[in-house]
Amino acid sequence: MWITMGPQHPMTHGLWTLRVKVDGETVVDTEAELGYIHRGVEKIAEARDFTQVTPYCDRLCYVSAMTWANSYIYAAEDLLEVDVPERAEYIRLISAEIQRLASHLMWLGAFGPDIGNLTLMTWCMRDREMFLDLLQELGGSRMHYNYPRIGGVKRDLPVGFADRARAKVKLFEQRIKEYEMMLDESTIWLVRLQGVGYSRAEDMVNSGVSGPNVRAAGVNYDVRWAHPYSVYDQVDWEPAVEKPTSVKGADCYDRYRVRMEEMVQSCKMVLDALDKIPGGANTHYSTGDEMILTKAPTRAPEGATGFSNYECTRGASQFYIQGGGDGRGKNPYRLSIRSPMFITIPYVAKTMIGYKVADIPAIMGSFDPCIGETDR
Amino acid sequence: MSITSEQNEAAASAFLEQAEERFGGSGVTVSIEHHSNAVKFAFVRMTCPPQHWIALAKWMRFDAGINYCSMITGTHYPEGGTRTWGVAYHFLRQPVRDVEPFTSDVLKAESLEGMDIPLEIEVLIDLPDGREPTVPSVQSIWIGADWNEKETWDLVGIQFEGHENMHRVLNPHDSPDGFHPLQKQHQIRYHDYNEMYDDAQGFVRKPADEGRVK
Repeated sequence: MWITMGPQHPMTHGLWTLRVKVDGETVVDTEAELGYIHRGVEKIAEARDFTQVTPYCDRLCYVSAMTWANSYIYAAEDLLEVDVPERAEYIRLISAEIQRLASHLMWLGAFGPDIGNLTLMTWCMRDREMFLDLLQELGGSRMHYNYPRIGGVKRDLPVGFADRARAKVKLFEQRIKEYEMMLDESTIWLVRLQGVGYSRAEDMVNSGVSGPNVRAAGVNYDVRWAHPYSVYDQVDWEPAVEKPTSVKGADCYDRYRVRMEEMVQSCKMVLDALDKIPGGANTHYSTGDEMILTKAPTRAPEGATGFSNYECTRGASQFYIQGGGDGRGKNPYRLSIRSPMFITIPYVAKTMIGYKVADIPAIMGSFDPCIGETDR
Repeated sequence: MSITSEQNEAAASAFLEQAEERFGGSGVTVSIEHHSNAVKFAFVRMTCPPQHWIALAKWMRFDAGINYCSMITGTHYPEGGTRTWGVAYHFLRQPVRDVEPFTSDVLKAESLEGMDIPLEIEVLIDLPDGREPTVPSVQSIWIGADWNEKETWDLVGIQFEGHENMHRVLNPHDSPDGFHPLQKQHQIRYHDYNEMYDDAQGFVRKPADEGRVK
């Protein structure tokens, strides 16, 4: 019997359909159907200037807008051959890591009710608000910041940002311990997550899965470390990695643990970057200062290409841009977006085979799906 | 801490040597390029005629350790030139192995060498003029290429020969045959576009207003 879960279903975390073939309570086949909110960002970008594409990239994933905009910006800088001032790179790193905290909190908050822990949602929303406030100080809005620019960032850190960021991150470092106390000893949490949704590292890499989901299977491969793009080689951190408990690979519990560890690392990175930022975190520069923004060309010649490989909150996001479009190279000729979740969701659908129907929300939620980026 | 440019450079040139030894003279070209943003990392760019693509893909996967197919981009060049269609593949080499239970494989960047160094590969395939651009499918070599190929066919209309279970993924399932929105005959800037968006209130005179009193 085929059951259709979605497009409106608490398990989906967005609009998509999982068709499940069941034998009693056991899943014997699955099929993912995507494309419900395909907006055609790649086509729209062909009629926009390079700077005008950034807000569309913000909207690719409303949970981690800053990392997606940054990802596009690095590809555009590769295409237009721009060198970015170091201070701007530090600000980008800080903003991206704060966004990672907010995104992982959103994931945990949505994952809790899937498992039957409604308290978690309220706790995570409370803490996520702190980080959204910080990002709002930078970009001006809560969700879609349009903050990075080709050649730097829009504005410098506001006065007092560093103090507020340090206070909030240090508070959150304590709060992570509270979460762990609540979750790691909760029987419901452990029973629902342990031994469910196994996936092996080599399988995942061959299937195109990336990011925390692979790190949960015991390998510390991380784009920030393997293809360093910002100033990640200058701040103090280690890629989060988990020790899976079975030869079958990582289960849902490992994927939860690795994201908690990533949040700890992100806190560490923000604190360290605020200490090391050239010019000092509390110095205020005016808009357009060369410390935070360099001039970038607006046109790219035909034949030029730009590529970025960026560690988004859900895995490696990639942009590939070809120059030489309309208006003598003012627009991208072709912009291609690689979304980690577009590849991961079909893979996850296949890992569910053999588990019970009641395990589907736990397995799906543990991979952190986001449909905005999936459908583009 | 992280992979250095020297390691990256060494891995790229080792790959270049191997690839040239294996595919020299067959029409496959290999070169080392550098990104031009802040961190000028090296990557390998290859061009390949479509008839050698399967041989090259198998060699990359099973001999050169390229285990990650990250992105496939199809492009339509209707104004002609040397090509009408292009397919760009992006691959990564990731030093990922399965681990024993209760252990983790914590790689130290400075101790990685040889085929363990992460590397980025770009493969460009130019397709000759034709109503139905076709390349062989690599779905059976990298599972990760499966949905990438589906997407590229769906949006751009590149046919992947030998791809099983090809279907629409982002466009509606009942889209008309032959509708692939990223082909260039589908215009996003229709007439009057500029007036609509650049001058929404109509303060600027339009060509149609020539000679009239506004």
